[in-house]
Amino acid sequence: MLNFLLAAPATVSEQDVVTPFEQALLLGLVFVIMFGLGAGLTLKDFLHALKRPKGLIVGFFTQYGLMPLLAFSLASIFLFQLPIEYAAPVAVGALLMGSVPGGTTSNLFTYFAKGNLALSVIMTINTTIWALLMTPLALFFYGGLMFKDSPEWEIPVTNIVVTIAVMLVPVILGMTIRRFSANIGAVLELLGGFFGLFFIGFLMATWVPRNWGLLTSTPWQVYLVAIGLGLFGMAATFGVARSLRINGVDARTIALETGILNGPLAIAIVLLTFGGNPAIGLILIVPAMYSLFIVIISTLVTLRFRKSNLAEEQKIPNLL
Amino acid sequence: MTNKPWLAHYPSDVPHELPTSEFRHLPDLIRSAASTYGKKTAFTQVMANGMNGSLSFAQVDQYSDHFAVYLRDVLRLQPGDRVAVQMPNCISYTIVAFGIFKAGLVLVNTNPLYTQNEMTHQFSDSGAKALVVIDMFADRLPEVLPKTSIEHVVVVRISQFFPAIVSGVIRGTQKFWSRTLPKIKVPHVLFMDALSQGSKAFHKQKVDSYLDGLNGSTVAALQYTGGTTGVSKGAMLSHDNLVTNTLQLISMCGDYMRPGKEIVITALPLYHIFAFTINLLGFWHLGARNLLVPTPRPPSNLKRVFENYKVTWMTGVNTLFNALLNERWFTDSPPKHLRASAAGGMSLHESVSERWRKLTGTPIVEGYGLTESSPVITFNPLNGTGRDGTIGIPVPSTDVKCVSESGAEVAVGEPGELLAKGPQVMLGYWNRPEETASTVVDGWLKTGDIATVDKDGFFTIVDRKKDMILVSGFNVYPNEVEEQIAALEGVKEVGVIGVPDEKSGEKVKAFVVAADNPPTVDDVIAHCRKSLSAYKVPSSVVFVNELPKSPIGKILRKDLRAMWLSQQSGSASKTVKG
Repeated sequence: MLNFLLAAPATVSEQDVVTPFEQALLLGLVFVIMFGLGAGLTLKDFLHALKRPKGLIVGFFTQYGLMPLLAFSLASIFLFQLPIEYAAPVAVGALLMGSVPGGTTSNLFTYFAKGNLALSVIMTINTTIWALLMTPLALFFYGGLMFKDSPEWEIPVTNIVVTIAVMLVPVILGMTIRRFSANIGAVLELLGGFFGLFFIGFLMATWVPRNWGLLTSTPWQVYLVAIGLGLFGMAATFGVARSLRINGVDARTIALETGILNGPLAIAIVLLTFGGNPAIGLILIVPAMYSLFIVIISTLVTLRFRKSNLAEEQKIPNLL
Repeated sequence: MTNKPWLAHYPSDVPHELPTSEFRHLPDLIRSAASTYGKKTAFTQVMANGMNGSLSFAQVDQYSDHFAVYLRDVLRLQPGDRVAVQMPNCISYTIVAFGIFKAGLVLVNTNPLYTQNEMTHQFSDSGAKALVVIDMFADRLPEVLPKTSIEHVVVVRISQFFPAIVSGVIRGTQKFWSRTLPKIKVPHVLFMDALSQGSKAFHKQKVDSYLDGLNGSTVAALQYTGGTTGVSKGAMLSHDNLVTNTLQLISMCGDYMRPGKEIVITALPLYHIFAFTINLLGFWHLGARNLLVPTPRPPSNLKRVFENYKVTWMTGVNTLFNALLNERWFTDSPPKHLRASAAGGMSLHESVSERWRKLTGTPIVEGYGLTESSPVITFNPLNGTGRDGTIGIPVPSTDVKCVSESGAEVAVGEPGELLAKGPQVMLGYWNRPEETASTVVDGWLKTGDIATVDKDGFFTIVDRKKDMILVSGFNVYPNEVEEQIAALEGVKEVGVIGVPDEKSGEKVKAFVVAADNPPTVDDVIAHCRKSLSAYKVPSSVVFVNELPKSPIGKILRKDLRAMWLSQQSGSASKTVKG
């Protein structure tokens, strides 16, 4: 299943992109983040969301309809201008990045943007659970479309399902623990949010200097895909949500939530499913670069949204 | 009233007169519950994110003994000395308050959100010798303390008595994330150090000796209130006042308050007399588990409390109940174990009480009282005979009447000033004999509220005397107009005041906070025309984001008026803001 990558001349090794220490740390962090996500949850939260599902449904479709399509389009248009041995693994990473659910970092940004925090949190949960089905489905569909003439580029869908299932275990653990101790639950919930930011800070501090050469030699097309995924994703989602007559605050919340994907999860999936693969370094490029740039993009978008949300607050008080 | 018609409407388990109390003073009441309920959880402080800490009855009893020793033995405070306390709802508050009573000292509750001027006034007026303050608000002390007689400062942390790690996380967030921990620039002792010093000097006989010379008529608390004149003054509440009022209220609730079984949510601030007597003293005496919420704003702060605990009782003000009814998480899954709710502090709108009853399936009744009466004067029976829109009937051992300007009792149904007499009426205002003399006459407390009474003895507040609007010689009571507007779909809150008018003397002005799908100004006026006489219909309606409120959430009409006045004198473009 992975032999295509063996055949392709790998230019970047796994070690260049992520060291074993970083890998271990990363997996630990993802575990804590997912744990924290679960610790903030009750079954009631799901019931509440189901009673007023419009924002949730729209968010679901932008997350798994729009984002993978965007990743596919960006990769198809720009990446394949590059040599296929390089373009194919990078595109696999881009597709994967576009197909993972929203991350907890989006909740922090929504908080700062004065958006609808409850909606953001419940969307993260919703898309994370659906990831078990939708992430592999999106990868299967767009992967098949992208590599229909080269069956050797098939994406290991089964491995991905297993990885996501494993990642849901801490979510359920978090929910269970929260039931028994509100204190431990609240501490974990808080830690989860901070670790998400910590992960990005860590990446900037260690990964960027070490991979400076890689970053400077990376073609602009890859930058465009990594940055465009978040930026265009938010813009398009906002447009879709507004055209469906969702109010401004909720539309901006859905846009942030959809555009800010779970970068650590994507990287963890790559590490766990493509482990030992010589081209893993190339697959990791888009998820890693996306995770870096999304902080900058989200900060700018958050500042912009905050302004609009504050303005809107004047008009519609009490919007949950 | 001479014939006390309300006695016929007491539920069968409510005594007409309160039996002579077995408690000589508050420390008796505090110790009695501690020995009955011992290891049972007394207080659980719940933060907005669900983090919590708890203490049992025995622990609170023991810690408050230690704090009493600290105050008397270490700080050398003398019986009757005043101790100001300034903190939000937290476990430490309960230990501090009980410790002050046990030390034979006088508690001066102080709003933590007070400005420097307000703090200075209250501290110097009460002559407080010591201050127990939450660290978050201690940054104003360097300016305030020199103008007061405060010699000792004890600093409390919000996360005291939480598990160590949780407490550390909370402090870390306060310090580095929300940056709400200012540097404290005055000499002070940390609360935990004070407790351990008190613990070292503790001796049972010593603590008992503090109560020598203490009796029911000793002042227990100076509870500051604006009263009718606006200058904040301390109502002297005695041990008897507070003990009896606690028992009066509990006796009025009959089987709705089951000893040792209730779980009550305390979202209103304990430094306010309503929560102080009912939630702190009442539910302590009852052996309930008390869930202390540091602040109910925003109302989503209560989400975790309702999720994590089987709340059986709730006290609140109209604003709080209304706010919860506007929260989706609350209406989507209303509390399952709730048995009853009590409203006070301001009038409970019928639209709110109806929605509350419909949503929770449990009774909500309104009571009435003043700081000067510890506070409860009247309460509605919970057994279904309560009447919406009324403040209920006088609690046991209490007499109430409505009188005209001349002091004569008015006829049934006629409005008059409400006067109350009973063991809960304060000793007087601290150092203000003239104001005391004009407020408590022959044992009758003049409330300044205009009320009517029906033939069964149910009282209805028509309005505050000073809030009454005079339109062309006709009395308009803002409550009545507010009630009508609040019932309108899309209205979240409303405040009505009178503003000067050349033609009619005064005219009615409504300030409305909109909910989803708000009505237009014309809708509001048209709605009022249907149910109110023409002179009562607002001549103007303004939509605002927020209304000025007191610490417990009572809408402050005087601040609304001030806001309106400053707007008139200020630039025309200035918008009305909370």
